[in-house]
Amino acid sequence: MLCSLIRDDLLEVLYDDASAATAARVEEHLAVCPSCRDDMASLRDLRRDLGTWTVPPSLDTAARPAPRRPGARAWLGAMAAGLVLSLGAAFGLSGSELSYDNGTLAFRLGRGPAEVDVERLLAEQEERHRREIRALADSQAPTPLREARDDDALLRQVEQMIRESEARQATLLSASLGDLSTRAEAQRRYDLARVSAGLSYLDGKTGEQVARTTELMGYVLQAAQER
Amino acid sequence: MAPSDEELVEAFQQGDRSAFDALVHRWDRKIQGAIYRIMGSDEEVRDLCQEAFLKAFRGLGTFKREARFSSWLYQIALNVCRDRLRRRKGRTLVSLDEVDDSPAALAKGPTALELVESRSLAQVVARAMDTLPPEQREVVILKEYQGLTFPEIAEVLDVPVSTVKTRLYRGLDMLRHRLERQGVGRRAAVPAASS
Repeated sequence: MLCSLIRDDLLEVLYDDASAATAARVEEHLAVCPSCRDDMASLRDLRRDLGTWTVPPSLDTAARPAPRRPGARAWLGAMAAGLVLSLGAAFGLSGSELSYDNGTLAFRLGRGPAEVDVERLLAEQEERHRREIRALADSQAPTPLREARDDDALLRQVEQMIRESEARQATLLSASLGDLSTRAEAQRRYDLARVSAGLSYLDGKTGEQVARTTELMGYVLQAAQER
Repeated sequence: MAPSDEELVEAFQQGDRSAFDALVHRWDRKIQGAIYRIMGSDEEVRDLCQEAFLKAFRGLGTFKREARFSSWLYQIALNVCRDRLRRRKGRTLVSLDEVDDSPAALAKGPTALELVESRSLAQVVARAMDTLPPEQREVVILKEYQGLTFPEIAEVLDVPVSTVKTRLYRGLDMLRHRLERQGVGRRAAVPAASS
């Protein structure tokens, strides 16, 4: 039998998916074909290597809670501590929540799926944000300079304006510092990624060099023995 | 005896919302594992997993039970990952001479600290997996790590079983050569002297 024709069956045997008949056919072919025998052994070795790549502990089941009973309300506590994303928050307006914590995804549904009007929720949320922005802008608007009745009143107005100005500057400074911190963090991550890319490249080069050297040593040994 | 996926789907479609919770609990770890390996890092796993389940939640009401729920869920997860990977490719970064710092490599590569701390075989495998073409990587992951059968993978990817096997063999073959180049594998050994 041609090796290319047995390849699909070989994969089934490799993953223990083969029927008895297929397994027997592959076994028969491997007995007479050193090339496919070597290929199969190599693939088995590869599967062992691939098995070393495991899911990180942070995503492992060990830290996961026991299965919940249907209808139990125990997940409400976990939901309160969960990180609710913005979309989940939109759902929350309708009484529904989507949260995720310690590898657990939980839904609390206030209304049926058909009743969830995402467009309306988003519009409400946008309106709420607009109101908040307007309120914030109003609170930071400078106090109009009214006609002062006397010097003391004028002085109080000026002091009030200075305090408001200082408060605005402090807010702006705080926002700028926050922005600077975010930019610095982003830059740091980018630099780390560049360094890691460089290390990956060097790592690959080193591996290639070692493989080449090993191969050359083999040839030298071979030549020495032949001599 | 625990209800099957299909029974839970039916219960959900009849209004039992706790059925979806049970489905999430049953499948989220497997979906997380698939997403982790497709994306090559755990940074976005929870975000993408959440997105996948949210899409599933939205679509489950009209899900036709002709396909397996698990296949349908894997399809959603794969699509979520593909979308994110496409967006990664859209990013532009300043390149370095001699160094492969393409957006994909930068986004998927381990951090410097991780590289220093762990130069294990698993890291080599993860990097080799990262170099596979997406269609081969998906098949290898679904077969090798998710343990799906060939017909199940064919259903998830909507391709014939023969295509699945071809992609799997090519993917494994490419991985084998990548690992050999990194000094892992059979051909890295000193060749035997001929008599």
